[in-house]
Formats: sequence, C-alpha cells, structure tokens
Amino acid sequence: MSTPSKDSLSQVETTCGSLLYELKIIWDEVGEGDAERDKMLLELERECLEVYRRKVDLANKCRAQLRHAIADSEAELAAICSAMGERPVHIRQSDQTPRRSLKAELRAILPELEEMKKRKSDRRNQFLEVLEQIQKIEKEINATSSNIVLDETDLSLRKLEELHTKLQTLQREKSDRLKQVLEHLNSLNSLCLVLGMDFKQTVHEVHPSLSETEATKSISNDTILRLASAIEGLLEVKIQRMQRIQDLATSLIELWNLMDTPVEEQQMFQSVTCKIAASEQEITEPNMLSLEFINYVEAEVSRLETLKSSKMKELVFKKRSELEDICRKTHILPESDTSLEVAIEAIESGAVDAGSLLEQIEILIGKVKEEAFSRKEILEKVEKWMGACEEECWLEEYNRDDNRYNAGRGAHLTLKRAEKARALVNKLPGLVEALAVKTITWENERGVEFTYDGVRLLTMLEDYKILRQQKEEERKRQRDQKKLQGQLMAEQEALFGSKPSPIKPQSAKKGGRLSMGGVSNRRLSLGGAHATPKSDVHSTRAAATPNTRPAKKLDRQLSNKDDGFGSQLTGRRGLETAGNKKHNPNELEPTFRKPFSPISSKVKVTETDMKHEMLQKTFQTNTSPFITPSKPKPTTTEEENRIPQKNIIPILAFTPCAQMQTTMTPVKTMVHEEEVVIEYSFEERRAGFVLPRSHLKTMV
Amino acid sequence: MKTKKKIFQKFEFKPPKEFETPFQIPNPPKPSSSTGTLKMTAAVPPLTGRELSNPPSDGISNLRFSNHSDNLLVSSWDKIVRLYDASENVLRGEFTHGGAVLDCCFHDDNSGFSASADNTVRRLVFNQQREDILGRHDAPVRCIEYSYGTGQVISGSWDKTLKCWDPRGASSQERTLVGTYTQPERVYSLSLVGNRVVVATAGRHVNVYDLRNMSQPEQRRESSLKYQTRCVQCYPNGTGYALSSVEGRVAMEFFDLTEAGQSKKYAFKCHRKSEAGRDIVYPVNTIAFHPVYGTFATGGCDGFVNVWDGNNKKRLYQYSKYPTSIAALSFSRDGRLLAVASSYTYEEGDKPHEPDAIFVRSVNEVEVKPKPKVYPNPAT
Repeated sequence: MSTPSKDSLSQVETTCGSLLYELKIIWDEVGEGDAERDKMLLELERECLEVYRRKVDLANKCRAQLRHAIADSEAELAAICSAMGERPVHIRQSDQTPRRSLKAELRAILPELEEMKKRKSDRRNQFLEVLEQIQKIEKEINATSSNIVLDETDLSLRKLEELHTKLQTLQREKSDRLKQVLEHLNSLNSLCLVLGMDFKQTVHEVHPSLSETEATKSISNDTILRLASAIEGLLEVKIQRMQRIQDLATSLIELWNLMDTPVEEQQMFQSVTCKIAASEQEITEPNMLSLEFINYVEAEVSRLETLKSSKMKELVFKKRSELEDICRKTHILPESDTSLEVAIEAIESGAVDAGSLLEQIEILIGKVKEEAFSRKEILEKVEKWMGACEEECWLEEYNRDDNRYNAGRGAHLTLKRAEKARALVNKLPGLVEALAVKTITWENERGVEFTYDGVRLLTMLEDYKILRQQKEEERKRQRDQKKLQGQLMAEQEALFGSKPSPIKPQSAKKGGRLSMGGVSNRRLSLGGAHATPKSDVHSTRAAATPNTRPAKKLDRQLSNKDDGFGSQLTGRRGLETAGNKKHNPNELEPTFRKPFSPISSKVKVTETDMKHEMLQKTFQTNTSPFITPSKPKPTTTEEENRIPQKNIIPILAFTPCAQMQTTMTPVKTMVHEEEVVIEYSFEERRAGFVLPRSHLKTMV
Repeated sequence: MKTKKKIFQKFEFKPPKEFETPFQIPNPPKPSSSTGTLKMTAAVPPLTGRELSNPPSDGISNLRFSNHSDNLLVSSWDKIVRLYDASENVLRGEFTHGGAVLDCCFHDDNSGFSASADNTVRRLVFNQQREDILGRHDAPVRCIEYSYGTGQVISGSWDKTLKCWDPRGASSQERTLVGTYTQPERVYSLSLVGNRVVVATAGRHVNVYDLRNMSQPEQRRESSLKYQTRCVQCYPNGTGYALSSVEGRVAMEFFDLTEAGQSKKYAFKCHRKSEAGRDIVYPVNTIAFHPVYGTFATGGCDGFVNVWDGNNKKRLYQYSKYPTSIAALSFSRDGRLLAVASSYTYEEGDKPHEPDAIFVRSVNEVEVKPKPKVYPNPAT
C-alpha cells in the first residue's frame, strides 16, 4: 500500500473495482441470488455515501472556523486601531482584491494583528507612565490620591497629548509650589535668625520633611498654609519685639543723654539704637530680636535706671549738703530741716520723684542765698564781734596766768597779742552797740528777727551786755577779795614766814577743762557746725545705742564736771551768751536740744548755776569743729572700732546685742569666779560647756 | 558682656580710707513703664528658695556644698550628719554620732569629716554608710576643715588646741594625728585658703598659720572688733579674711602686714535693726564667699542673708527674711546655688523657736556680681 498519494484515488478505484470483482467471484461461487446481491450493493452504496457526507460536513465546519478566526482577528484589529485612533489598516481588502483563500487571508492578517497588539501595549505603557507621574504629583499637591484608572478604550495620541499637557501643568504647579515653599522657608529662616530661634525646629514643627536637606520637601496646600501662618506668627512676634526693643532703645537714649554716658559704653548698644526708627523689614541682623538680646538690653536699661536713681539721689544729697553749707556759713537755721529728712527717706522708698525734690531744694537754696546776701554785712560784724570776744576770753585767761611774764619761748608774741587784745576789748562795747543798731534796722526793714543759729542776735547781744556788766562787778569783787587775801597772806607771812604757792588752784582747773572732751551741749557752743542734720544722725544713733559705754562715759563726765566747777567758780569774763538761762531759757530749750545727748539737759536742770562755766569751756574746746564742720564726732566711731580695753571682758558674756536687752529672756550664765567672767559662745552655752578650773586659772 | 566689664573699670575709684565705711545700699530697681508692656512673666520661685525635705530635727550647726557636685553635707545638734543631693532634693545618707555635731566638711564626693561634741573627729564614708573615728580632743570639737593641699584634716576644739590629722593612716590613732597646736583660747572658728589657716578663738584672738610650718603662728593678731568672734572666712583669692562678731559687725582683714596692706582693712556694721530710735544688733553667724565673683554673703540672727561686695564696699542684695536665725550659708561649687540654714542658734538660750530648715535657692548673677561704684563725681 505504499503507493504515492497522487494515485491513491485511482488506486482506491481500482481496489474498489477489484474488490467488486472479488465480491462477484465470491458471490458466484457462493451462488448468491441477485436480490441478495442488489441489496448488498445498495447497502454498500449507502455506506459510501454516508462516509462522503460526513467528510464534506467536516470540511465545511473547518471552513467556517477559518472564516470565524479571520473575522475575529479583523475585529480585534479594528478595535485596536480604533483604540489607538488610527485608521484600520485592513478594511475589506478582500473586496477589492481577487479572492484569496481563507487560510491565506488568515495568514495575512495574523502578523498584522500581532504588530498592532505590540504597538498597543507600547502605547499603554506610555499612558501608564504619564498617568503614574500625574498621580504622583497630584498626591504631592493634594496629599490625597485620586486613583486614575487607565481607560483601555482610548489610547489615542490625542489623549496621550492631553495627558502630557496635564502632566506639564502639574509639573509647573509643582515647581511653582516648590518655589513658594522655598521662599517661605527663606523668609522663615531670616525671621528665625532675627528672632534668635531655631530654624530647623520651627520648620520641623510645620512639616517634618522641610527640615531635612536631602528629602523632597512637602508642597501640599496644607504645608503651604501652615508655613504661611508660621511666617505670619513670627512676623507678629517680630513686630512686637521690634516695638519692645525700640521702646528700650528710646529709654536707653534718654538715659544716656541724661547721664552723659561715655561713647564706648553706648557703642555696645549701637545696634539697638540705630534701629530705633527702623521698620520691620529693615531689621535683619541675626539675633537682633532674640529674647536673650532683648533681656540683655532690658538689663542695661534697668541698670541705667538704677544708676539714674542713685545719681539723682546723690544729686539731691549734694544739693542738700550745699543748702546746709550755705545755712551753716550764714548761720541761718535751715527751717525745713526735718521735712527734707523726710523727703530723702521718701526718695529712698521710691514714693517721691527725686527730680521734683531737687527742684524744691534748688528753690530753697535760692531763697537762702538771697537771705544770706542781705545778712552778709551784719554777719561780718558778728564775726568781728565773736573774734573780739574770743580775744577777750584769751586775755582774761592770760591775765589770770601768774607766770605770764616769765620769759619763755614766744613770750614776746604773747605780749604783743595781749596788747592788741586789750585794744580790741576796749572797742568791744562800741562794736556791740553798732551791731545792735545795724541789726535793729535790718529787722525793721524786713519785719523778721535776725537770728544767728536760731538765736535772736539782739538777745545774744543783750545777754552779752548784761554779762559784761556782771563780770565787771565780779571783777571788782574779786579785786576786793584779792586785796583781802593779800592782807591775809601778809598776816600769814607774818606768822609762818612763807606765801602759799599760787599755782595750786590752777592745776585743778586744768584737769577740769581737759575732761570736758567733746561732750555736753554743743548746740550752745557758738560753733554751729553741729546744728546740721548730718551730725544729728550720728549723735543720736550713738546716744541711742543701748550699750553701757555711753552711760559710763556720762558718769565720768559728770564727775569731772564737778571737779571743773569746783575750781572754776570765779567769775570769768567770756562769751556766756546764748545759754544763759536767766535771760532766755525758752528760746534755747525746745526741740533743738533733743537730738543731742540728754546729758546737757540734765545738767541744765540740776546744776544751773554752773552752766556759764560749762558753756564757756565747750566753746573753747570745740573750736576745731567750728573750723572744719564736715567731720562729725570722729571720736565716737573711732572708739567703737578700737581695740577695747580691759573692762570690756565682763560685757562680752552678755553678747551686747541690744536685742538681748529689749527682749526679756534672761541669760543665765554669768560665771563669777573671783571677779572674772568668762565669755561663752552660743554653742558652748547650749552644750553646757564650762571651762575646767585649771583653764580658769591660766586665764586669770 | 565681656566688653562691659572693661568699661566698668572706668567707674572704679579708690575707696575712701575711713575705717568705718557705710556700705551703699541700692534701691531695688523700679520697673520702668516703657518696658513693662512686653515683660515676660516668668514663674516666680518662692522667695526663700526651695526647702529641702527631711531637714534635721534640731539646730543646724553647719552645711557645706561639695566641690564636685551639688551634694550638701549638713551637721546638726540632733547628733546626725546628713548628706543631701540638693538639686534632686533627696536625702542620700545619715550618720549618727555620739553627741551633737558641731561642724562637717567634704573630703571628696565619697567621704567627709565631722566634728562632734563627744570630743571625736570622725571620717564618714558615704557609699558604705561607715564612719571611723580619726581621733579625739579633750573637749568638744568646734570646727573642722580639710586641706586639699596637704591632705590633712584640721580640727579646732574648745580644749584650746588645733589638731592636724592624716586621714590615710586610718588604722591607729597614733599614726593619724600629725600634730597638736595649743591656742590661746577655745577655738571658735577656722578657715582655710591655700596653705593658710586662720584660727579665731575666744578672747578675740586670731592666729594665722602656714600649714607647711605649723610650729608657731605666722601671725598673732587680735580681732579688730570689740566683741566675741562668731565666724572667720578667708577670701577666695587668699589675700585676707573676713571676721564677724556677735555685735552685728564684720571686719575685712588682710594678711599683708605692710602699712599699705593694712590700710585696706576696714569694718562695717550689718544685721542691725533700728526700732524706735534704738539699734537692735544681731550676731553675724556665718560668712560665705562666692566662688566666682569673690563677693560674700553674711547671715545673722535677724534671719536675713545679705550679699556684699567687699571691694566696692557695697551691699549687693538682701534676701527676704527667713523664719529664724541664719546658722550657716554655703555657695555651690559654681556659685549657682546658695544653701541657707535657717535654724535657731541659741542666742537667747532655750526658748521656743521656728523649725529648723534648709533652703536651697538658685542665685541670680545680679545678686552676687560686683557692681562698680556709681558715679563718684556726678556731673553738674
């Protein structure tokens, strides 16, 4: 059967014929009937037909399939083309061209389809790429992503173009926003710099991505809004601070002007003051408005202000002392003395403005100066009178000195002085008279009393006159007495053959005078220096300190005074003017006395008769404070800080804080051991520590 | 700020040579109206500073800050030495003694020393909660100091001696005791600077020793003040010492014995109250120098703490009044903290008094920084 297929049909035919022949032979041999033979042949024929039909059906079906495939491909191709917006390449070519077999057609169309499919997928990828980019940018801008789905049906170039333009606009917007964000960041940075804030920190609060240099910066609406609001907030702060620092600068300049602050010191705040009128944009220096800087400037302002207040206070003090000085020089009692004191205190407490006080004092000074001018002439005379009185005093003393004619060093000078003094003393009554006349005219002119250190001058003069008279009388009496004594002595001499030494009473006198020290009533000494409030303060405080020392001193003084009086009874000529209680006790007693030691007043009451002498002595001993009045009582302070004497030790046991005297708590330990008191510290007392005897012995 | 200081020197001038110089007491600066608008209102700390919890139950005899941390060592009459962490406000340790503890000091952050009324000098080891007895005096030990220069402990006692101890030879007392130096009187206060030891005793004696030659005092002095010495404290710059008395006065002394050196010394009154024309005078219990600025704080029985500028003779600051006497003061190593012991010091005998308390306050620069003299020659 391996015949070539070409001949297969004829071969089949032959084999069919041969088979029929074989069948006829068989039938012949078998002897089959014709009917049987026909039936068989018919069946054969039918079976053959069946086979044929089946084959044709099969072929038909195959053709239909082919056609279908072609149609499908064509449809797909068309769909792709339409999706891509291209003219279909393959439209009914079969109509125009001679009909090709179906298989050829299919073969022709398939590669085309493949090609189109490839192109479509390419296009699709392009779309996807663009869409992805769009989506990304949108996400960046809106923070939310509207998920765009690719529309497979429209992949045309136009659409692609559309998408591209959309992408471009988005990209432009993105870059715009980026620029805006950067701008914001820049301004934020400059603001932070000026305000002295941490830029990174601020930006991080707005959006974490902004503070990182590498990462892409967030450009969403939200971020931009927040950036803007942050800038606005900072700007507001900046303006506030700017106003603040300009306020500070203004006060700085005011203070500088007021106090002539040196330029170098000003230079440090140049940066502040040069911006005093700057607008908000002009302030760009880093840290110009930082809190630390503002605080620094503020501290400077407050420092200057304290300076100013203390300077003002100093000025007030200076002016006040100037006023006092003038008053002292012209022997006017500063009338508003206490009120000034109060005012100073008020400044210190901040209740009164130093400036107005200064003005007040200035006015007072003016007034006092004016008054001083009118008093000048009289004062000069008074000065002269005082000088004369002094000389008189000296002369008197000198006259009393029985050794005055002993030739010693400087004796000739003393003699000369005495001569001059005598001449002066002779002129004294006239001087007093003239002074009185002048004073009266002055008083009449002004309608006020002429006071000298608070004492009416006329009274002083009057007192002086009376005193002089008394002295005169006393002198007369003394002369008589001397005469008598002379007689007595002569008698004694007659009896015992010697004269008593004349020096004796004098030594007693001297001791008495020395002991007077700087105590007693200075107010009445003509010095006047101590009438100023400055010395008031010192002396009152010293007197008020409840130490035992002043009391002791007082005792000593009192006893000394007694001594003094004992020897000094004799009427001496001198300036017993102001304090003369017989004539004007009322004028001198009140108020002035109070600030001073209570000693004098006590003396006054008890030992009135002795007073003249006292006063005179104080006058003599206190001449030095009269000349240099600015040094008030150096003795007290020095004594307080001096190394103590032995008698201090018993006081120590008490620990002499005044507090212990005022409060009632009894301090129990005061160990008396053979008159020696040992000091103990608080701790020793608390611990109950007592020095053993052996130690005590060594201490004694 | 650096330049500021330089300019201020312009204002300095030589202080007048009066022995008694009244300190200038500035007014508190008034708030200016122009700057008031934007004033930052910081939270106002309590005026007295933060009070430490778990304070001693009886009188505080001394307190000291460590040189290395903010630890605070406090000795008390309740026989206990306490170690606090001042910044954390924590009580770190307690050391019970046989008697009242009159003084204490740090060695380093791990150990310290104490002086007790039971005559002992002790070494305290903080992290082991252990205490060794370094040695004994014949009477209560009043004060104690540690010298970093020589590594010795110096104690002063009411037995009229000063003793130096070497804490390293802890085993036997013979080895720890370096020397005993007789004083003219009971030792009341001690202070150390560099190699100098200043010993203040009863009877107003002051002895100045050189630690390298303790055989006899370098200087024997008498206090310039008339009354009992309460406290002595050396200047941080080592040129002298401040000495306070029971009579509201502080003397500023200098070691330099030349005339020029001695001309600088002066004394001033403080811790006084004027009432109805009388001065009430309070003892000055303690002096503490600021480690940075050299200014110093004094505490008195009036309950006030004053800060002074010794060079310019000015009072810089007065803190608001504490409930009772100021028994002790100490600045921390950097001067940012000031520990204040407000504790009755028995100045009026046994009487009811405010509870003992320790306040730790943070120190403002303004309160301790020296200010130049204000305009010595006011213009116009």
